[in-house]
Amino acid sequence: MLTTVTQAVVNGLLIGGIYALVSIGVSLIFGVVKIVNFAQGEFVMIGMYISFFLATTFGVDPLLSLLVSMPALFVVGALMQHFLIRRVLGLGDMPQIFLTFALSLLLLNLALMLFTANYQTVHTAYTDAALNLGEINVPVAKLIAFVLAMVLSAALWVFLHTTDLGKAMRAAAQNRDVAMLMGINPDRVFAVAVGIALALAGAAGSLLVPFYPVYPMVGQVFVLMAFVAVVLGTLGNITGALIASLMMGVAESLGIQFVGADSGLIVVFVMLLLTLAVRPSGLAGGAR
Amino acid sequence: MAEALVVTNLSKRFGGLRAVQGLSFSVREGETVALIGPNGAGKTTSFHLITGFHRADAGSVKAFGRELVGLRPHQICAHGLARTFQVARPFGTMTVEANVMTGAFLRDRRPEVARERAREAIEFVGLAAKAMSPARDLTTIDQRRLEMARALATQPRLLLLDEVMAGLNPAEIDQAVALVGKLAARGLTIVVVEHVMRAIMAVARHIVVLDHGQKIAEGNPNEVVANPEVIRAYLGTGYVHAPAAGAAPC
Amino acid sequence: MIAKLARRGAVWLGALALVMLALPLVVTSNFALDICIRVLLFSFIGVAWNLMGGYAKQLSLGHAAYFGLGAYTSTILLIDYDVSPWIGMLAGGVVAALASLPIGALCFRLRGPYFAIATIATAQVLMLLFLKFRDFAWGAEGTTMPNLGDAPLMMQFDGKAPYYYIVLALLALGLAVTWRIERSWVGYYLVAIGEDEDAAEAVGVNAARIKRDIYMISAFLTALAGTFYVQYIYFIDPNTAFSFNVSVEAALVSIVGGIGTLWGPVLGTVLLETTSALLQSWLGSARGGVQLTIYSLILMAVILWRPTGLIGLFTDAWRRIVPAAAKRERASADG
Repeated sequence: MLTTVTQAVVNGLLIGGIYALVSIGVSLIFGVVKIVNFAQGEFVMIGMYISFFLATTFGVDPLLSLLVSMPALFVVGALMQHFLIRRVLGLGDMPQIFLTFALSLLLLNLALMLFTANYQTVHTAYTDAALNLGEINVPVAKLIAFVLAMVLSAALWVFLHTTDLGKAMRAAAQNRDVAMLMGINPDRVFAVAVGIALALAGAAGSLLVPFYPVYPMVGQVFVLMAFVAVVLGTLGNITGALIASLMMGVAESLGIQFVGADSGLIVVFVMLLLTLAVRPSGLAGGAR
Repeated sequence: MAEALVVTNLSKRFGGLRAVQGLSFSVREGETVALIGPNGAGKTTSFHLITGFHRADAGSVKAFGRELVGLRPHQICAHGLARTFQVARPFGTMTVEANVMTGAFLRDRRPEVARERAREAIEFVGLAAKAMSPARDLTTIDQRRLEMARALATQPRLLLLDEVMAGLNPAEIDQAVALVGKLAARGLTIVVVEHVMRAIMAVARHIVVLDHGQKIAEGNPNEVVANPEVIRAYLGTGYVHAPAAGAAPC
Repeated sequence: MIAKLARRGAVWLGALALVMLALPLVVTSNFALDICIRVLLFSFIGVAWNLMGGYAKQLSLGHAAYFGLGAYTSTILLIDYDVSPWIGMLAGGVVAALASLPIGALCFRLRGPYFAIATIATAQVLMLLFLKFRDFAWGAEGTTMPNLGDAPLMMQFDGKAPYYYIVLALLALGLAVTWRIERSWVGYYLVAIGEDEDAAEAVGVNAARIKRDIYMISAFLTALAGTFYVQYIYFIDPNTAFSFNVSVEAALVSIVGGIGTLWGPVLGTVLLETTSALLQSWLGSARGGVQLTIYSLILMAVILWRPTGLIGLFTDAWRRIVPAAAKRERASADG
């Protein structure tokens, strides 16, 4: 029994790392630019397809393709901020929500048109490999994904707290007007924030490829997890999003193990609804 | 004369910051009272507490005999307290008239009646010419007038004005002071938060001074201006013994 | 003067009503009638959404929850208890309205985009629940309606024309409700809440109660559409009833057409559905994703270029063509 639970917890943590990458991106954009990126999941999908094509056409290992997917999505993010997001800032909730929402629909359906709904997989040398720690089975691909996800999260933390640009970003997140008075160019800061968030999404995608099927709708699952994690971890709180993601990974895994194969999602939703009912400002927020 | 507003031991903290501590003061019906103090003294927070936007940690607010702490803002407004915001918050896409009608609907649901009351309020604040303009097209000062008209349309017995004079030139200040005077003449109880001394001296019979969330002085304008605690709060210890004449704070 | 303008407006409305009523007599092709029915149906769904999402800016992306609840209520009553879908439709509306209370209580704790996300979550939860429960709702395979032939009392008809008239009546109902609310104090309060909820509270608006009430009305109307739809296609399953596409289109048509306006959703539906129909005939059978790709491009274009919706173009053009009418409009009532 203990083994089953531990295994489920381990599985949950490992996938939780990926959820964390996606949700940190959402949290970063929300904290700095103050909009919710509904298309975050689609950028995970794009990252996956980039790695998929590099793997199947050139035989590039998905982990190596991080070097392509991350910079590529960073640039996409900066462009997205400059050409799209900038135009709807200050216009209120509706344009902001539906702009990224429309983008999400667009990317998803373009992918459907181009690639069809079929599941694709990539098989690497380590796809089936696993470590055995006692009775616990730890798939290598997932472990690598988790470790790299944590490394990237830590790198982001360092960036935000030690570099000038990172601090400028946090300043703009806290008080945009004062930041501007201090000479911080909000557009540049926003572009970098969105770029980083999308790069993290792309990384999540590339890290998933060795063990997760590639298909156009894949982003939807992850983005829903990400949103719930962001709410759970308190809006705008990046560390909160990370911890909440790990928790949700574990909750989902336990749900799948003990309730039923397709109940992972229900468990997560129940968590969201409970949070809303009991502590709407999330784990790190004060009572309303 | 009856007490319109009795604030007793009001306190509120935000995390580690004690925004308002043990604030007590009262306002008689028909009186105009000014709440002053350096920036960050807790004046606007006090308004938020009185009107229900923040929930007080401790203390009581009684208006016209009823306890307000724990009530929601719309209930407090229905009870007769209206307020303006420091930074005007108009309903941007609605016209001036529609904005004020929204306030008027509190007392009567009929559109014709609400329109009539709105027109009166708009006339009173001097916005009649712009009644059909979208609120977001107004100048900042006109938006403040709109705030006041909208608050007046709810037919308050107690009006809380948050820095309505900020940024006005002397002529505009005189107009605003006249407006407040007219409202007082109608019997309205008024509490103003202000920094502009000229206006305060002109409208207020009674002044309450806050600093760091606490009341540090209270009295008629002349007393307050000469009070060493008040001078210290605004200008620092070095000025406490400066001659009273011309040492108006802020 | 105002009477004259009103009369002119009424004349246009009367003409439109006549055209709509006579349409099935002229358009007899089933294919064309089907398109008309879809346009009317999604206009109605859009109008129902618009009350909450357009006026009060509570941007729900989970209205399919009520669509589905309406559909399932009437179907269960029909198949299990032989209750006429006409009654089932009303029952579905009531169920949906009641469901909106706890859902609203939870979701309204969040604002803006997080409210939207919470509504998506609730619709998804409902879909998942209905996918699992075979006992009373046929699970994932769904069920077909019993074919009762031509049975008007059981909302089944041989031709398409009767369905056309039903959905036309529904749309008229939705528009009438919106029109009534728009002119009343509720309308002003809705817009105030949409603009600045806190400032609205400060002038006496009980925002929580108004949001709750309008959500109930919106849910009720959306549920009616759900019953109609499953009666029309003779089939129900969780993926159809709680389809995310329904939630999306409910919001989309209002935004594209004119958020927070009476005719906006109608305009938006006409535009989107005709584009979709044209595309389908041009490209042959729809390749997965084409319709939504086009919809999302239109949506992005509208948001970037004219966020208040395309109806603004028409009203601007009208004002330019008839400057006298515009001046009279400004002199008269509502802002």
